[in-house]
Amino acid sequence: MIQMFHVYKAYPGDPPVLSDINLHVEKGEFIFLTGPSGAGKTTLLKLLFCGEKATKGQILVGGRNIARIRESAIPYLRRNIGVVFQDFKLLPQRTVEDNVAFTLDVLGRPRAEAREKVHRMLKLVGLEHKASSYPLRLSGGEQQRVVIARALVNDPTILLADEPTGNLDPALTVEIMDLLNQVNIRGTTVLVATHDSTLLARYQKRTVRLERGFIVSDEDGVKAARRMAV
Amino acid sequence: MSALAKVSYFWRSATGGLRHSPFVHFIAITTIAIALFAAGLARTAGSALDGLLASLGGEVEVTVYLAPELAEDQVEALRTQLETASGGRAVLVKPEEALERLARELGDLGDALSQLPENPLPPSLELSVAPERRTPELLERLSLQLRALPGVTGVDYGREAVERLTAIARALQFGGLVAFAVVLFATIIIVSATLQLAIYARREEIEIQKLVGATDRFVKAPFLIEGLLQGLLGAAVALGGLWAFGQLVGPTLTSLFSFLLGPTSSEPMVRAGLALELIFAGGLLGLVGSFIAVGRFLRV
Repeated sequence: MIQMFHVYKAYPGDPPVLSDINLHVEKGEFIFLTGPSGAGKTTLLKLLFCGEKATKGQILVGGRNIARIRESAIPYLRRNIGVVFQDFKLLPQRTVEDNVAFTLDVLGRPRAEAREKVHRMLKLVGLEHKASSYPLRLSGGEQQRVVIARALVNDPTILLADEPTGNLDPALTVEIMDLLNQVNIRGTTVLVATHDSTLLARYQKRTVRLERGFIVSDEDGVKAARRMAV
Repeated sequence: MSALAKVSYFWRSATGGLRHSPFVHFIAITTIAIALFAAGLARTAGSALDGLLASLGGEVEVTVYLAPELAEDQVEALRTQLETASGGRAVLVKPEEALERLARELGDLGDALSQLPENPLPPSLELSVAPERRTPELLERLSLQLRALPGVTGVDYGREAVERLTAIARALQFGGLVAFAVVLFATIIIVSATLQLAIYARREEIEIQKLVGATDRFVKAPFLIEGLLQGLLGAAVALGGLWAFGQLVGPTLTSLFSFLLGPTSSEPMVRAGLALELIFAGGLLGLVGSFIAVGRFLRV
């Protein structure tokens, strides 16, 4: 599903943010990207949805080389990738329903069809009763669930989550992670960037560790969890 | 993918944008309205001036002096020739009629003419030329053509007056065009700046649109519609203003200038043609302004 070959990302005048990244993600996999702040986790995710361009190397997403993608083709790539951010990025003046429907509006889906999909998605994230609420009236966990619903409403094949639980307390963190796990079980490839080691131990998924822009380890869930325990 | 759903989304987004930043859009609409109101006034004044020039131009006649020895049938033949060449009407003025007219024009001094041993004035044909042929160039060409006819001894068409009137009309047209271009430019800049503010206010929404896969065209379309709506609303306000101006000030102006403007001044301030022109201009102003704004500011 995702292949990265000798990928580098550097900004002029600074040391590389990512160096010689080689990563292969199979369809339907769940992967944690971990490492300290500044390790390059967010940049790596940005490269995958063309929020940034790689300085060097090749990146294939769904068989398409996005290192050489035309600007005009980026929107069509993004329609297959859902993105979840730590800071939610919800529109405060729109209702929960409208925020989730935003993705379908962009794709020109008829309103009736969009409404039906939105309700199905809100049901999945357990927020159907909050459809007409405004985001600022929701808890952090609820807001993050709205973001996940927005990211999934278009049935993307890949879900990228950048510190999705970074602003949440432990109980809400588990709630969100359970939801992402459930999404993965339904067939979506999920990449979660986190520096929360308790998550790695609890969910035991393949874990790719970044340090100073390099991949320093790539272990299966059990091995990673065992190392965390040591 | 439904085109109807997209159009419906663009419309909701554009009208939502107008509601989202009402003050910013109020400024843009007011600017367009003022510019179009001024343009509408200038247009109305311009057409009144055209009417004035046409009526003054109508008084310019070509006088063709004839040889005194011409027989009546020869004069008649010449008259027909003149009318064919000019597309206007020619009236014969006999020498005694011309002398009477001169005496009348001279007033008290006119009596002196009766002392003349014989009438020195030749017969003439007074030719009124069709309005479209009253330019200095065409009148000069007609004059040369008429001068060459046998039996014609001279042609006079008030060359200086025609040239002066034409120069005034051209200067006014040019001045109007320059002023209109300046107002147009300033309006586009202001509309574009206000839309940039509106775009800035919705940067978060744009960022999310891009993240969920919106194309550049999709992001830009609502802003272009917003600009178009601004322009149309500005035009509507300007037309309302012109109508009110016509109702309140029109009668006073008509009575003040009726001696100059004649029947044209009684025309309504907002004619259908002018309304269409202003609506078109408003829409175009809004579109161009928003096009510049999205081009400069929305590099998404």
